[in-house]
Parts: sequence; structure tokens; C-alpha cells
Amino acid sequence: MEPAIDLLSWAALMGGGFFYVVGAIGLNRMPDIFTRLHAVSVSETLGVGLLTLGMLLQAGFTLVAVKLVMIMVVLMWTGAVATHALARAALHDGEKPLLADKGGALMPTDPVSLFPELGVRLAAPLKSEIVEGDSPGPADAGSAESEALAEVGYGADEAEANPDAERPDSAGPDSTGKDDR
Amino acid sequence: MMFAVAIIAVLIALTLAVVRALAGPSAFDRLLAANNIGTSAIMLLALFGFMTERPEFLDIGITYVLLNMIGTLAVLKFFRYGALGHAQDLDMDQDQS
Repeated sequence: MEPAIDLLSWAALMGGGFFYVVGAIGLNRMPDIFTRLHAVSVSETLGVGLLTLGMLLQAGFTLVAVKLVMIMVVLMWTGAVATHALARAALHDGEKPLLADKGGALMPTDPVSLFPELGVRLAAPLKSEIVEGDSPGPADAGSAESEALAEVGYGADEAEANPDAERPDSAGPDSTGKDDR
Repeated sequence: MMFAVAIIAVLIALTLAVVRALAGPSAFDRLLAANNIGTSAIMLLALFGFMTERPEFLDIGITYVLLNMIGTLAVLKFFRYGALGHAQDLDMDQDQS
């Protein structure tokens, strides 16, 4: 085996291993399910891609290379699909993503209040998961959206306009979220 | 040698994913970790095959890729509908008011 190919293979395998470990560390360090999905997709795209590239360089033009490419393509494809399905199922189950409020503290925020069309898009919303009283239809999407934006502090002046806009139940910022900002 | 180092990296990642699978507060965390463990197993199979110069292990890896995907989607579907098959349980309009 030529030394240049070996060197490239070393680099790809080390890079792949590095990103794989980074993704796994993110899986443990991130504060909620959605950010964990984000972390894992690092190892499922860049990690798998670089590891497979390193093995491809060692395999040369053989049937083994075809199988490796097949594994890589299927893994990238299904990783995206599984990530999307997991996020959608978690949203549907009522997991609240951690979003930063004005002070920078992470709070579990109901995504349906933030993006009203989400309640329509989640095909079969459980009734208990929609914020009581305002399951906003497409008609009043604009007002509900601005109110929701004021809740999480993106529009500062609107937040002072209605200070009694209560947040959905907040169990306090997660202890692992302290180093995010 | 290079494959051995990569195998060690994947094993570290596998251990961390097992930690998350045991500790994860919600079922989705566990499922995400299980998916990652499956991917790690595929990479381990491929790397081990290359390390021992028996790349036939890749065939097992291809099987694992497909099983991993189907497993994750099946469990998610079970979470959502409480069933895996019957058409009357999959009626999506019944909850929409």
C-alpha cells in the first residue's frame, strides 16, 4: 500500500473517530432531547462518513468498496429519517424544547405556542398537549405568534406590554444547561 | 493499527451512548441512544473486519443498517399509536377536534 494512501486513510479514520466521540459526548452533555438529536447527527454523518472514507481508501476498487459505499449511503439516509421521526414523535408526545428567555436562562417552552401552525402539522395532536384555551388556528396565527415571541423574549417591548403572559409550566432551567451561554 | 485506534474511539462512543441509554429521562432519549449504539455496532463490525482483513463482516453490517432503521421507526410508531399494525388504530383524524 502506498504511503500517501495510508496517510490519507489515517487522517480520515482519526477524524472520523474524533467526530464520533464528539457526538457521543454531546449525547451526554446536551440538556434536552432536541439538542441531543443535534449532537448525535454529528457522529451519524461526519463520523460515519469519515470512518467509511478511511476504510474505502484501504479497500481500493473492489466489491468491498461497493459494500462500504452502500453502508455509508444507507446510514446517512436512514439517520436523517430516524432523526426527523424522533423529533416529531418527541414533539407529539409533548416534550418541550428548551429555549432561552430574556435573561438567557433555558426554559421548557411549548412549541405550539411559538409556532401555531405546528399544532396543525402534528397530524394527531393529543388534546392535553395543546395549551388550554389557545389552540390557535390559522386565522389568528399572527397575534398568537407575536404573543408567543414576546413570551420567550424575542420582542422586548411587547413583553412589557403584556407582562402577565404566563409561561407554560416551567420546571426551572435544567442543571446541565448552565454552561450554554 | 489505524483500525485499532478507530475501534477504540468507536468503543468510547459506544460506552457513552450506553450511559445515555441507561440514564435518559424520556423514552426518546433511550431510543436515540439505542439508534446510536446500533450505528456504532455497524462501524465496529466494518472496522473489525478490516482490522482482521476479513471484510466479509460488511455483509453483516449491511443487515444491521437495515435492521437499525426499521427498529427505530417501528418503536416510534408504537409510541405514537400504541399499536404496530391495525388500520383502525391508525386513524389519524380521531383526535383532531
